[in-house]
Amino acid sequence: MPSLTRFVRTDWFGPLLACIVAIAIIQSVSPTFLSLANIQVLLLALAVNALIAFSQMIIIAIGQMNLSVGAIGGLAAIAFAGAMEVWGLPAPLAALFGLIIGLACGALNGLLVRISGMSAFVITLATLSIYKGVNLGITEAQAFYGVPQAVKAFGSAVIAGPVPWLVAPTALVAVWLWFMLRRQPVGRFILAVGGNEHAAELSGVSIARTVVTAHAISGLLAALAGILLVARLGVGQPSIGDDWLILSFAAPVIGGAVLSGGSVSVAATLLGVVIVAIITQALVLFSIDPYLTQVILGGLILAAVSFNRLRESRFIGRFGRA
Amino acid sequence: MQKTSSYFAAALIAGLSFGTPSIAADDSRIALVPGGPHPYFGAWAQAGEDAARDFGLAGADYRVPQKWELSQQNQLLESLLSQGYNAFLIFPGDPVGSVSTAEELSGFGAPVMAGGGCFKDPSPAALCLGTDTGASAYEGTRKLIEAMKAKGDGPKRIAHFTGFLSDPNTQLRIDAVNRAAEEEGVEVVQTIADIDAPEAAEEKINAYLAAHSGDIDGIVTTAWVPAVAAAEALRQMGGDRIDMVGIDHDEAVLKAIKDGIVDGTMIQNPYGQAYIGAYVLDRLRSGCTIKADAPFKSNALTDRFVDSGTAYVDASNADSYIETMRGETKAIMDGFEATYLDCQ
Repeated sequence: MPSLTRFVRTDWFGPLLACIVAIAIIQSVSPTFLSLANIQVLLLALAVNALIAFSQMIIIAIGQMNLSVGAIGGLAAIAFAGAMEVWGLPAPLAALFGLIIGLACGALNGLLVRISGMSAFVITLATLSIYKGVNLGITEAQAFYGVPQAVKAFGSAVIAGPVPWLVAPTALVAVWLWFMLRRQPVGRFILAVGGNEHAAELSGVSIARTVVTAHAISGLLAALAGILLVARLGVGQPSIGDDWLILSFAAPVIGGAVLSGGSVSVAATLLGVVIVAIITQALVLFSIDPYLTQVILGGLILAAVSFNRLRESRFIGRFGRA
Repeated sequence: MQKTSSYFAAALIAGLSFGTPSIAADDSRIALVPGGPHPYFGAWAQAGEDAARDFGLAGADYRVPQKWELSQQNQLLESLLSQGYNAFLIFPGDPVGSVSTAEELSGFGAPVMAGGGCFKDPSPAALCLGTDTGASAYEGTRKLIEAMKAKGDGPKRIAHFTGFLSDPNTQLRIDAVNRAAEEEGVEVVQTIADIDAPEAAEEKINAYLAAHSGDIDGIVTTAWVPAVAAAEALRQMGGDRIDMVGIDHDEAVLKAIKDGIVDGTMIQNPYGQAYIGAYVLDRLRSGCTIKADAPFKSNALTDRFVDSGTAYVDASNADSYIETMRGETKAIMDGFEATYLDCQ
């Protein structure tokens, strides 16, 4: 019984329960929902969307926001595809190039936040425009089509059954993030700065270094999401990243992240991504009127967040967090 | 970067020395402004350069708002006016909301014309040169139904993948697809909209096909990105049971047609819209006026509509689609001044 109580008190129990309930309901109405083909589609979506959510989650952990997640991902995506098409770089080198761009963009965000003293909201609002402008300046809104066949094959290949190769980098990132936040000093510093910046500073934590590090990680993860998306789509679309913002916030918040910082969960964020993906797919499978889709999506996300908050206030409030 | 538009434009250069006006306003600086970044408008840049050269303009420059937001487009237009641009071809960010900015430009003596999409009447736009989106969607659906019925009789069911719901053309397309299907006794089992972005299109189309591919016989797409995503999804699924007719000339769609995965596509004429648009705006600056009895068509937004042309491309003419649209552009240019302008 104590182990069950501890299980229920974990931050990922609510999202997990919501996932199970949602899957059971949808499967009972649409038996093809858990078909191998649909599971593969879900996993493909999760592979990229989880990285987008992690990219925002790490900034939420320090109590800030990154509005430029999509712009960084889009810039890294066209850098990756463009480097292969225009310069003829091999895919691994082009991917490294894209990742470095993402890392640099993120680090620049962090530096600007610290140097200017302005809020990350304002800084990343400005850099969103800059990064997107660079993207459009390079591409002139035209896609890079010269993505090598090997990259496209990676984007659609499966490890076994319905499990695509694209989930492998995401799984590694999830494990690394969990380990970093739980076990490594840099992760503890990030949570400490988000929880109470003043106290963290008095404890000897370098706020500047921690903020820049968090933004650099965020940029790196956004870039990885962009690169994986190029592999999945088989084309370097300049519009990649344009609609990442809502998802990037929705998944961590559904997962119980505290927007003021100091408390995030990799597992719960991942489950938040699953919930958003399930809702999105359900709206397609149930043939919802296209004019109502956004309304219902927003309502269901709100319901998922409310459910988790209710669970926390009713249960964890009484018994404490695990 | 391989730009389809560049090839399209390059092929057109040789063939578009027709209709060059004898009198041009040598100080015409024309801005070609879409609603936001989108591959459809890629051909406008080359068309502007060609028009400037062919018609002796001071400039015909493609200027793109950074996002699909009306406020950004309005700010860009005002900025371009202050930079000395004196004529504007605009894809309205909003058919009603853009009218006030068009009036502002027109108030400074700059002629305004709608390209690719229309302003809602009344507006100061001299005319609207764009695809008859309803007719294109209707024709595409008819072609799809023909392809499905060629495989055998029996009830047929189709899915329709389309673009932004905020685009007034989307509802026209939905209506046209439904009308064509109803006339032929075909059921439109699902319309998925708001997917003119790669991530959304790929995720939703694949999710739909994973669950319902057995329930449909055909797919019609009426927006650029869904056409690409659906073609790629069918390629990955394999087999040829599901027919598809797409839209526009993305390389992925054309390759899918050549590979036998997609039946055909309804191509539009963005190059012609910008090239002819620059010509018309220059003529208006030279003193020409729109004929009172010009034989404009009407659509849901305006009574001053000119169809920029659309054509069905399948495996038989996928390699020569540029020639097809060159013919459309030439046909419009040939009689344009005599038909629509009064240049005494």
